[in-house]
Amino acid sequence: MIEIRGHARGGQGMVTAFEILAKIFAEIDDYQVQAFPAFGVERTGAPIQAFLRVSREKILNRSNIYFPNLVVVFDETLIAQVPVLNGLKKDGAILLNTNSKIEDIKLKTKNIYTIPATQISLDKGLGTKSLPIVNAAMIGAIIKILDIDINVVANIIADNVPTKPKENSESAILATKNILKSKNITDELKKYLNEDSLDENNLDKDIVFKSNNQILDFPSWNKPMSINKTGNWRVVTPKYEEKPPPCSTNCPAGTDVRLFVKQTSEGKFADAFSTIYKFNPFASTCGRVCPHFCQQSCNRIELDSGLNIGAIERFLGDKGITRKFSKSPISKTEKIAVIGSGPAGLTSALRLRQKGYEVIVFEALPYAGGMMRTGIPSFRLPLNILDKEIEAIEEQGVVIKLNNKVTIKELSNDYDIIISAVGSHKSNKMKIPGEEFATDGINFLREFKLENKNYDINIGDDIAIIGGGNTAVDIARTVLRLGAVPTIYYRRSKNEMPAIPHEVEEAINEGVNIKLLTTPISYNKNSNGKIVITLIDMILGEPDKSGRRRPIKIEDSEKIISVNKVFSAIGQTFDDYVFEGKKVKVEQGKIKFENNKPVFCCGDMAWGGTVTEAIGSGNFTTDEVVAFLKNQNYSSKDNPVNVVLPADINYNYYLPTPRHENPVVEMKSFINNFTEVVKGLTEKEVIEESKRCLHCGECYSCGNCYNYCPDAAIHIDELNRLRIDYDYCKGCGICFEECPCSAISLKMDEVVNESSVN
Amino acid sequence: MGQANANFLIQEEKVFSGALSCRGCGWSLLTRHLASLLGENTVYVVPACCFSIIAGPYPLNDLKANVVHTLFAAAPATATGIRAALDRQGKTDTNVVILAGDGGTFDIGFQALSGAASRGENLLYICNNNGAYMNTGIQSSTATPFGAATTTNPGTDFRKTWPKDLMGIIAAHNIPYTATVSLAYLNDFRDKIKKAMDIKGFRLLMIDGPCPPGHKTEPSESIEETRLAVESNLFPLFEVEKGKHKINHFPKNKVKVEECLKLQGRFKHLFKKENKAIVDKIQNMTDFNWKRLKLLEKMNVDLGY
Amino acid sequence: MNQVLTDKKVTKINQKYPRHTQKVLKGNYAASESAVLCHSTVIPAYPITPQTSIIEELSNRVSVNKFDATFINMDSEHSVFAAAMGAAMTGERVFTATSGQGLFYAHEVLHGIAHFRLPIVICNVGRPSIPWNIWSDQSDSISQRDTGWIQYYGESSQEVLDDIIQAYKISEELNIPVMVVLDAFYQSHTSENIWVPDQELVDKFLPKKKLSGSEIDLNNPKSFGGLVPPDSYGNFNHGYWNDIIKVEDLTNKVGKEFEKHFGRGYGAVEEININKDTKQILVTLSTITSTARGVIKKHPEVGILKIRLFKPFPRKSILKVLSDSNVDKNKCKIITFDKNFLGDSEGALMQELRRALYGENYFIQGVYVGLGGRDVPPSTVENIIETCKTNNDEIIWIDS
Repeated sequence: MIEIRGHARGGQGMVTAFEILAKIFAEIDDYQVQAFPAFGVERTGAPIQAFLRVSREKILNRSNIYFPNLVVVFDETLIAQVPVLNGLKKDGAILLNTNSKIEDIKLKTKNIYTIPATQISLDKGLGTKSLPIVNAAMIGAIIKILDIDINVVANIIADNVPTKPKENSESAILATKNILKSKNITDELKKYLNEDSLDENNLDKDIVFKSNNQILDFPSWNKPMSINKTGNWRVVTPKYEEKPPPCSTNCPAGTDVRLFVKQTSEGKFADAFSTIYKFNPFASTCGRVCPHFCQQSCNRIELDSGLNIGAIERFLGDKGITRKFSKSPISKTEKIAVIGSGPAGLTSALRLRQKGYEVIVFEALPYAGGMMRTGIPSFRLPLNILDKEIEAIEEQGVVIKLNNKVTIKELSNDYDIIISAVGSHKSNKMKIPGEEFATDGINFLREFKLENKNYDINIGDDIAIIGGGNTAVDIARTVLRLGAVPTIYYRRSKNEMPAIPHEVEEAINEGVNIKLLTTPISYNKNSNGKIVITLIDMILGEPDKSGRRRPIKIEDSEKIISVNKVFSAIGQTFDDYVFEGKKVKVEQGKIKFENNKPVFCCGDMAWGGTVTEAIGSGNFTTDEVVAFLKNQNYSSKDNPVNVVLPADINYNYYLPTPRHENPVVEMKSFINNFTEVVKGLTEKEVIEESKRCLHCGECYSCGNCYNYCPDAAIHIDELNRLRIDYDYCKGCGICFEECPCSAISLKMDEVVNESSVN
Repeated sequence: MGQANANFLIQEEKVFSGALSCRGCGWSLLTRHLASLLGENTVYVVPACCFSIIAGPYPLNDLKANVVHTLFAAAPATATGIRAALDRQGKTDTNVVILAGDGGTFDIGFQALSGAASRGENLLYICNNNGAYMNTGIQSSTATPFGAATTTNPGTDFRKTWPKDLMGIIAAHNIPYTATVSLAYLNDFRDKIKKAMDIKGFRLLMIDGPCPPGHKTEPSESIEETRLAVESNLFPLFEVEKGKHKINHFPKNKVKVEECLKLQGRFKHLFKKENKAIVDKIQNMTDFNWKRLKLLEKMNVDLGY
Repeated sequence: MNQVLTDKKVTKINQKYPRHTQKVLKGNYAASESAVLCHSTVIPAYPITPQTSIIEELSNRVSVNKFDATFINMDSEHSVFAAAMGAAMTGERVFTATSGQGLFYAHEVLHGIAHFRLPIVICNVGRPSIPWNIWSDQSDSISQRDTGWIQYYGESSQEVLDDIIQAYKISEELNIPVMVVLDAFYQSHTSENIWVPDQELVDKFLPKKKLSGSEIDLNNPKSFGGLVPPDSYGNFNHGYWNDIIKVEDLTNKVGKEFEKHFGRGYGAVEEININKDTKQILVTLSTITSTARGVIKKHPEVGILKIRLFKPFPRKSILKVLSDSNVDKNKCKIITFDKNFLGDSEGALMQELRRALYGENYFIQGVYVGLGGRDVPPSTVENIIETCKTNNDEIIWIDS
C-alpha cells in the first residue's frame, strides 16, 4: 500500500485531485483506493490536508495518514508554515510545486521532486493569479512518480474536472514532462503500489501524536483569536510603495510636480516654490508659456479635467521670485563659460554657480533671456516677469555679459568648461520660388517686441503666416494687435499643429484665421505691391518619423491668393557662428571640438522644443559637467517604471470638482493692446485647485487601507505610521484595490517581513 | 506621509486579528467596524452562520466582548433572554447584538426574528446578507438573488424567484429603526450603527455581504462589488425610522445592474445570449424597487411612535 | 378565575408542617407557587395545553406585582428555551413550563441548555404526540432523556412543589438543567391538599442563585458554545459525565436535607412494602404510584418501587432497595408501568430497569398502561397484579 498525504490551501483543488487519482487507480488496474480530506472548517486560502491510499489489498485503515510514503505540497509557501514532512517514511519523498531549483530547496529530506505546477496552470488559464488551480498538474506529477502512463489516464482527468477538461488534461501531460528530481533519489515509490510499506513500529510516533488530557468542566472560549496567525494563508502580498506620478515623470525640467502641488495645498508656498526652483528658475515664465506636459498627462483628466498645474506654478513663481536670493560662494577652481542666456544657458549657469563654480554667461544680443525674450510676445509673457527671474539668477552670482558674440575658440583658453546654449534663432527656408518675398517671422517677433519695428503693417492688411508652431501663432496674434487680418496656413490638420493647443484656441477666439491642409508652393509680387501666393491642398498620409501623419500634395488643387505680407515661420536652426561656421553635429548633448575637449550643448540647438525642455536640458548638462569635472561618467536616470496610470486609480474616492480655469481678460479692442491676455488665479483658488490633486502613487493618509482591512492587519505604529502585520495579512488585496492613488502594490510570491509607509 | 488622522475610522480595535474568514470576507470587516463602535460592553449573539466559525474555535474568541453562539433558529430568542437578564441586573446600557446571516434571518430564524421584533425587544440585529447559505457551501436561501447560481440552484436551474423583501417585512413590524448598509460606504455604515445604538427597541441593519467563494469574485474586489450594488440600485441605501423612509444615497451616475452582476461568477451564465431577457428582468425589477422606494420616501408619513 | 385572586389563606386547622400554610391547589398552580417561592426571575413562556395555567398564573402574579420576575411572551417553545438559555447564561434563575409538542419542538435547545451547563428548572406536563392527544402520557419527557437533563417525576402536587425547590438546589450545584414532570390533568388540573412552605423557610433552604463563574461577565468577556475541534470535544463530554454521575447521590442527599427543613423527605426512589416475601414489585412513575399504594393494601405480597429520579437512572438506589429488602429473585417479579411508547419493544422504564439490573437475574415484565391519558383506576392495577401472577409474557398491553 502506498500512502500519500497532500498539503494545499483551501480552494486549490487538492481534494478533487486526490479523488481523481483514486478514480484513476481504481480504473486502470482495479486497485483498492481511499481518498479523503482532513475535514476542517478553514476557508479559502487556509492550509488544508488530504489523504490518498492505494493498495492491492482491501484497505482497512480508515484514519488520517500520519506516516506517508509521499508528501505532496501544492503551495511551496506552506513549507515554512506547516510541518509537511512530519512522519515521512525513511525512503519517502516530497513532491513540491515550485519554480525553484532543487539545490535551493532546504528540506530535511533528500528525496525531492519538483514541478512548476503554478506556471503550468497559469499558462493554461486554470484558476486566478491569486489562487491558481494547480490540481491537474499535480496529478500529472504524481502519476509520473508512480510510473503510470499519462496517456492512459488523461481522459479520466478530463472526465472528472468540473471545468476546462482539455486544459486540465493538457496540464497533467505537461506536468509529466516538467517534473524534476533530486540527485541520488531512490525513485522507487511505485513498488509500494503492489507491496506493503515499512513496519509501523519503526516510526517515531512522538512526532505526530499528541493528546489532550484536560477534562473540561465548562466550555470557555477566552483566548484571543490572534493566537491563530492567518498570515500563512497569503499568496499575494500587499506592500506600501511610492510610485512616480505622470506629472512629475512627464516634466521635461524634472520638477517634482506632485510635491509642489501638495505643498501648495497645505499653504506652504515658499516650500513649494523651492521645490520648483530646485530644477527650474523660470517658474513664472513656465507657468505662463509651458505647454504643461504634467497637466496633459494628469490622471484627473479621466475623472473630470486635469489639474491646472500651470496656474499653480505661475502663482508660486510670481510669489516666490519676489524673495531675496543670496549669492552662493565660489568654492571650486574651475571656470565655466556659457554661451547664450536663454532658459537652457541660464539654468545650467545658475545650477553650476550654486554648486560653487564661477560661471560667465556670454550673450550676443543686448538683452538676456534668449527666445523667452525675443520670441514670446509680451501679451503672453510680460517683460517684467522675465526680468525678475533673470535678476534673481544674477543675484545668485551668475555674471551675464551682454553684446558679447563669442566663439568657442575665443573662450577655450580661459575656461575649463564651455557650454553652448545658443538656441535656434535662424529661420528655416522653404526652398520654394519667390521665397525672398516672405518675411522672417522669428526676426519680426524680436524686432517688433524689443526694437519697436512694426514692419509697416497697417490696419486692414491681409497677412499670411506660414507654419503651425507657436511662432506662427504668436506672429498672427501680434499682427492682429496691429489691426491686420492674419491667416495661418498650415500643411497638416489641427491635431498636428505643434503650437500649444490653448494658445491656438485663444488665437482663434481673438480672430485669427487658420487654413489647414494647405501649403505655399511659390510666392510672387504683383503690380500693386501685394504678394501673390500659390497654395496647394494637402492630404494626410502615413505617419512620418515624428509620428505625425505626413502631408501629401493633392495634384491640380492649386489656388492663388494675394496678401500684403507673408511671414515664414516653419522652424529655426542654430547659428553656427559660435563654431566659426564649421559644420558640427551634436551627439547626446556634446560636441567633440578641438583637442578632444568636449563642448557641452543644451537648449534648442541640442534638443529642440519648449522653454521647459530647454530648462531640462540645462539641468542635464549641469549634471553632466559636474560628473565630467569629477572624472565620472554621467549616466542619465532610467525612465521611471510603474508610473501611475488611470487604470491604477480608484476614482470612486474622488469627488468631481470643477477645474479653476485661468481668467482671460475681456478686451474691447486688440489694437495696440499688448497687455497680458491670461490672468492668474487667486491664492484661494490656487489652494483649492491644488487640493484637486489625486496624489498619484503617494499615500495621502486617506485611511482606506486601514479602514477596509478585514483582518485588522494594518496597524498604526508608535510613530503614527501605517504598518502591515504580515502575521495576519491574508493577502485579500482589498487595500490594494481600494487605495485611491496606487500607493500600495500587490506582489506575487514575495516573502516580506515588514513594510510600512515612511 | 502616511500619517494616521481623522480619516482612520477605528480608534481602537475591538476585534483580534486571526479570524477564520475567507480572504475578502464581509463578516470580518463588518464586525471590526461594528465592534469598534459598540465597545466591550456588548453581548453578541450568533446563530449558525459563517461567523460562528470565523469568531473562533475553542478556546479562541475573535471579539473583545462576550459572544454567545446559539442555535440556528434561535438568535433573537436567546438575545431576548440575555436582554431580560441584563435589564434585571440593571445593565440596561449593555448592547445585545445579533450577528446573523441571511439564512438565519430570512429562513430558519424568521419566526424568532418576527417574535422579537414584535415584542419590541431592545436588541440590535445585524443581518449579513450574502445571498445564500455560505457556511454550508453556497446553497440557496430566500435571500438568494434572482439569476444567481448556487449549489442547490446549479447551471440552468439558477435561481428564478425574487428574494424576500425582508426590509419591507421588518419595517411592517413597526420597529423604530431599520436600515440597509454597505461596506463600500463606511461612513454611512458607521453613522447608522451609531444611530441605531442611540435608539431603544428592536433595530435591524441589513448589510450587503461580499463573499468571494460564494459570489465567485476576486477577494480584492469585495468592496467594488458592494459599491456597484449600491450604485446600480440593486442594493439601495435607505432607512426606515418610525415608519418614515429615507434614501441615504442617490447614485450620481446610475450604473446598469449588469456592471455589478458581471463582476460575480455566480451570474456568469446570465451573459449568454439566451439569458439576455433575465438581465433585463433584473434591471426592470431593480428599477421598479427603486421607484417604489422613492415613492415610499415621498409619503413621508409620521406615524408618531 | 385566577388562583392568585381567589386563593385565601386557609386557617391552620391541623398544623402538620410548621411554618407552612395548607392550601388546596391544582398541580399546575403548585408548580407556579413553587417557581415564585424559588425566586425565579425570568420566565419566557408560550402556551400549550395542559401546561398553560402554570405560565398564566406566573404572568398574573407578575402583573399584580406579587412576583418580581420578567415574564416574556415568546413566539414558540423553541424560542422559549432559547430565551431561557440566554437568561440563564447571564446568571438569572430561569423557570418555564411546557408540554408534549412544545417539548418536542424545543428538543434542539434542550441539548444546548444542558451542554452549555445551564441550571434551568422547568415543568413538563406530559402529553403525547401524533395522533393528536392532549392527555396524560410520558412519551414527551422520556424521549428527551438523552438531552442531558435531569428528570424528576412527581407523584402529587405537593411533590411537584417540593421537587422544584430541590431541583434548583441540585441544578445550580451541578450546572445541569432539571425537568420536573407532572401527569396531565390527573395532576396538573387536580385540586388537592398541599402544604405551601413559608417564604423564609424556602429562602433558608435555597439561597439566592450562586454564580458558577461561567456566566456572561462583562468584565471578563469570552465566547460561549463556539466550535470545538475533534481533539477537545470528548473532553467536554468527560467533564459533563463527571457531574452527571453525581446526581443520584445528590438527589438523596438533598432529599434528606429537605426533610430537615420542611419535614418531608425524598430520595431518588421510594420503596413501598418490599421485603423478602414480595412476589411482585410494581415500578411506577408519577400519579399511578398513589393509586397503586391503595391497591396493594389488599395485596401484602405486592410492593412498589417508585422512581422519582428517572434521569440519570438511579441504578445504585434500586440495587440497594432490592438487596436491603432481601428480595427473592426466584419468587419476585419486577413489573414496570410504562406510560410511554417509544417505538421499541420495551417501554422506557423497562429498558432502564433492565439496564440497571443487568446481571442480577430478576424477572422483569413490562406493562404498557395509561397511554394517551387512558385512566388507570385501581381495577386496572388489580388487573395487572392478577394478570402477572399467571402470564409470563415479556410485554403485556393493558386496556388496549
